[in-house]
Amino acid sequence: MGFGKYVLIRILNAIIVLTLVTLVMSALFVKVAEKDLENRIIEQVNAEFQSLQKQGKAPDNPDEWRAQRIAYYRHEYKLDRSYLWRIQYYFKRTITFDFGNTRNPVFGSERDVKAILKGAIPRTIQLFTTAQIIIIFLGILLGVKAAQMVGSLFDRALSVLALIMSSIPMWWFGMIMLLIFAFELGWFPARSIPDPNLTGWAHILDILKRMVLPVSTIVIVSFGAWAWVIRNIMIGTMQEDFIMAARAKGVPERKVIYGHALRAAAPPVVTMVIMGLLGSLGGAIITESVFTWPGMGRVYWIALETNETNLIMGLTFVNVILYLAAVIIADLTYGFLDPRVKVGASQKV
Amino acid sequence: MRWVDFKESVSEFWTDFKREKTGILGLFLLVLLVFTALAAPMITSPDIPEKWKTFWLGNPKNVPPTWINAFSSQDLAPHLAIEGSELQKYMRSTDSGYVIEIPYNNEYDIPPQDIVFKDVVGKSGGIRKPTLTVKVQRPDGKTVTLLENYKFSGNTVIQLGTNPAVRDALIKWVKSEGIYIDPTQEFQYKTLMDATRVLFGKLNENILEKPEALKGTYIFTFEINVPKDASVNFDNAKIIFTGRTYGWLGTDFKGRDLLAGIIWGSRVSLAIGVSVAVFSVIVGIFYGVTSAYFGGWTDEMMMRFQEFMASIPSLPILILMGTYFGGHIALWQIVVLLVVFGWVGVARVARSMALQIKEQTYVEAARVLGAGTGRIIFKHMVPQLLPYAFAQMALGVPGAVLSEASLSFLGLGDPTAVTWGQILHDAQAAGAATNGYWWWVIPPGLAIALVGFTFVLIGTALDRVLNPRLRRM
Repeated sequence: MGFGKYVLIRILNAIIVLTLVTLVMSALFVKVAEKDLENRIIEQVNAEFQSLQKQGKAPDNPDEWRAQRIAYYRHEYKLDRSYLWRIQYYFKRTITFDFGNTRNPVFGSERDVKAILKGAIPRTIQLFTTAQIIIIFLGILLGVKAAQMVGSLFDRALSVLALIMSSIPMWWFGMIMLLIFAFELGWFPARSIPDPNLTGWAHILDILKRMVLPVSTIVIVSFGAWAWVIRNIMIGTMQEDFIMAARAKGVPERKVIYGHALRAAAPPVVTMVIMGLLGSLGGAIITESVFTWPGMGRVYWIALETNETNLIMGLTFVNVILYLAAVIIADLTYGFLDPRVKVGASQKV
Repeated sequence: MRWVDFKESVSEFWTDFKREKTGILGLFLLVLLVFTALAAPMITSPDIPEKWKTFWLGNPKNVPPTWINAFSSQDLAPHLAIEGSELQKYMRSTDSGYVIEIPYNNEYDIPPQDIVFKDVVGKSGGIRKPTLTVKVQRPDGKTVTLLENYKFSGNTVIQLGTNPAVRDALIKWVKSEGIYIDPTQEFQYKTLMDATRVLFGKLNENILEKPEALKGTYIFTFEINVPKDASVNFDNAKIIFTGRTYGWLGTDFKGRDLLAGIIWGSRVSLAIGVSVAVFSVIVGIFYGVTSAYFGGWTDEMMMRFQEFMASIPSLPILILMGTYFGGHIALWQIVVLLVVFGWVGVARVARSMALQIKEQTYVEAARVLGAGTGRIIFKHMVPQLLPYAFAQMALGVPGAVLSEASLSFLGLGDPTAVTWGQILHDAQAAGAATNGYWWWVIPPGLAIALVGFTFVLIGTALDRVLNPRLRRM
């Protein structure tokens, strides 16, 4: 029962955080949207007035007519309600994923924010998971290797690489990759939007080819730091008594490392991996926009360049949810792998 | 702490720190960066942030740095501006006005993009305006009249390369030298040819299609004819040979000198990085220590709030804040926002360290002697955490620098400041990476990485010296 309660508490916690963050976001958003909507109302009323004039049906008293129309739209857009009422109104809409429409279509002809996000999120996840799997694989391999020979040239080179790479902006490295491999050598396409004329295998190959540059950017910038973290955790574990006991028993070294040590080091490694994943999500999202990969990063770039507030609100909300979900997963895996956490929680309740 | 003790511990720290080679390298880089940031107005000019918002009209656009000539087979002409007293040297008065004679030694395979006579002010009281005639004497002895009796008044800019009269004159000259031009192609040449390459080209049948550069000294003669009731002012006048290359780092799409941008960007980067790191650590330390000192419910509430802050993803919220502030975040707002999200990690560690210190007997003794909360926190607990705090401050800088650069890159930066992130934003918006403008993309990122690297070096060295107990390797 202990684990079930632990899960419940973590999820409840995440829901509370989500509610509070969404409230703050709504409060901010109402202010942003107010300016936005007021401009839009004036534009709309002006357009109506001009079309009436063209038809020769211009109202007798333009000022009064204008005020009337503005009042109508203010009511329509709920601008006549109090600030607090609008916050709870936006809060409800956000929680139910109703973000409204954008002014200009994004990705072809789509104007519904929900549909845009639905299209973009899987693409982000596709890119990001591919990169992350490679990073974890490389990180464990190199980290364990470095932990085996602490102080060697390989170990020191890895540390220096991790230091340097951690101070490089990932999106800038993406631009450099574009310069070298797309412009100078021409090996890979510079734009990531797939060719619509291809189908079947050619289509998949096309997508894979376009994924190479963004994925290798994320991998190259992050794997050094990963390997370094795993190295540090492994060094600690390798000094434990049970490792010495396993070695004394005559267990082969490979098995000692991958069977005993890595298994014991798993809980912190898993949390570190997930937390680091979250940390690099921001950078990876910006990196997407460099490669015009049509995921969330690209949507962010478009939303900011064209000032689409509804879209920014939707993106922020979805990002917060993804982040919280990952935090829960990290907590749960930790609790699952490390029995001490569970016991602590279940004893309290 | 007495002054003598303080002096002693500083000198003790310094002897330890001197042994850390990486730390010394970091310190050296830091001194270099701080010097660049402080001296920016002297090295470049104090009005760069103002000028950065505008187009730099005299400069060529999107051209690489001059030193690439050392690596390429073709020499590209650098940028050359003749103004002020240098221009006066070439100028003499005649009966009817002025003559400016400029010798230009073209030793390049690709000559300048354009020749611009800029900001000459003509005033005329009557009907007759001052006129300009431009002639070139080429190294092969031929003389070309590019412009004849061009009337001007007011502040005038004449771009010889794109001026239709000059292009006409060039075609006419090529014809008069006996080179056949296909009449159907003539109009196309007039609109599309690279005029300066023809002007500086070897006189042969390829001069319009594929001009080869004729090296040697060209003498440009600008004759300004001033009628009786008119006058010409040369105070701000410049003659610019617009380069195919520019300076040390080239230019961007607005003709801005990227070197100046990189130098000025160091100010924002350092100021934001350092202030965010320092304030976050101070807030985090006091938060953690207070939480640990009070314990019980206060501790519980404060740690709940800390957990809450830790589970908010900062970048999306920062972007939302950016739109809230109207699409641009002022520098101080960026600092405040990054501190709001930056103190969280420090607070957690500070709390667990303070919990240990709290149990020490001297804290108990102080409490028994009647010391107040403030005295115990400030005098007995916080000083113990200072070594950790200093190392964290240095280690926190790269993250802050990266965050600021990321926000600027997304176009949310302060529009009144020159930052590396904004230079890269412009580069991305102009497709610099896919067009191969490497001089525009590489330096700002290297600069960001250099600042980050400097503080990582200092931070890890500080960590080793100040917290030997925490050494894990």
